[in-house]
Amino acid sequence: MERKKEALVDVGEFIAEYSSYMMGCGIHTSRVIRSTKRIGEAYGYCVRISILPKSIIITLGNKDTHDYYSEVTEIPSLPISFEKNSLLSALSWETHDEHLSLNTLKEKFQEIVAIPPMNPWIVLVLASLANASFCRLFGGDWAGAGIVFVATLAGFFLRQRMTAKALNHYIVFITSAFVASLCASGSLFFNTNSDIILATSVLYLVPGVPLINGVIDIVEGHTLTGLSRLIQASLLIVCIAIGLSFTLLLVKDSLL
Amino acid sequence: MIIQDVLSDAFFAAIAGIGFGAISNPPVKAFPYIALLAAVGHATRYFLMTFAGIDIATASLAGAFVIGMGSLWLGKKIYSPMTVLYIPALLPMIPGKFAYNVVFSLIMLLQSMDEQAEKIKYMDMFFSNSVIAVTVIFMLAVGATFPLFLFPKRAYSLTRHKK
Repeated sequence: MERKKEALVDVGEFIAEYSSYMMGCGIHTSRVIRSTKRIGEAYGYCVRISILPKSIIITLGNKDTHDYYSEVTEIPSLPISFEKNSLLSALSWETHDEHLSLNTLKEKFQEIVAIPPMNPWIVLVLASLANASFCRLFGGDWAGAGIVFVATLAGFFLRQRMTAKALNHYIVFITSAFVASLCASGSLFFNTNSDIILATSVLYLVPGVPLINGVIDIVEGHTLTGLSRLIQASLLIVCIAIGLSFTLLLVKDSLL
Repeated sequence: MIIQDVLSDAFFAAIAGIGFGAISNPPVKAFPYIALLAAVGHATRYFLMTFAGIDIATASLAGAFVIGMGSLWLGKKIYSPMTVLYIPALLPMIPGKFAYNVVFSLIMLLQSMDEQAEKIKYMDMFFSNSVIAVTVIFMLAVGATFPLFLFPKRAYSLTRHKK
């Protein structure tokens, strides 16, 4: 059966949205390019993409008629979601293998976009447990792990609340790091390894995903987006350091 | 007890992997695999460092490579890209203690500008800790991505449902 040819403009508008959404939720550049091309090519068009740190330039062409469609889209900043990463990648293969019509594809895309994030309370407890076991990995004792658990609970809760209020994320990071490390500095009253506890109390903030994505991008030759991710991540790490240093300046005499 | 040490290290790494992964919304069915990979990777690094005397950067590279190969193998079972499994699994290996020392030594350096011996001590601490932290993070990402260069065809079609 001959497939109905979807209009160039419709496919172009869709893949522009698709690719910018993928970049926004923290997927490394080469996967975004591969998946986007796969969808465009499934509809019989050739796709050329250039990805910049804050925008995507996309050109879709019909080689037979020499019609071209071009669009520049902005990359939204969305919460990182590995689940959407999986589903969006799988969607591109589904389009390729099952010859989905553009309408079905759009519906499926909207379903994926609408998936709510994990329950914030569960994330709060899991992240606190993770940070507490981190303290154990670094050689802290059980009491230290308990203190880190409470400190993370406080800091992470504050981060969730402030992010929900759409505060600037540098301010969010500085404040959360300060509060978590301040709670952790309570360990100075006990006979424990306070420096390990202080060090681990802010680690839940480390932007591991952009750090690793940045290196992957650079290794794969997407130096521009890779460096931009690394710079963004470094700025956040600087914010963690600022928050932590407020606490350290307060308590450094008892630490030495 | 070597086995007991390695197992307890693996256990805490698994919890850390799940928790830090949860911040980035992974698919629910990926959690057991993330825990498994985090445990195996961190235990590999711990074993190499503690019992084989290998330095942290090389041991991290080895641990990350194990995680990368594991994610290539397990990714097909739940149709998820390698990065979905290996980034959360790598997070427990991020060198937090060194990063903390960088901040601590920077503050102390700024506070001890007038005392030569103290200044040099903190400068040394600042430099060596930064080098280790940056190298380890780079090694983690490279080690886990390397399987992608070895088996590109499989890595690119992990999310494909059709054989």
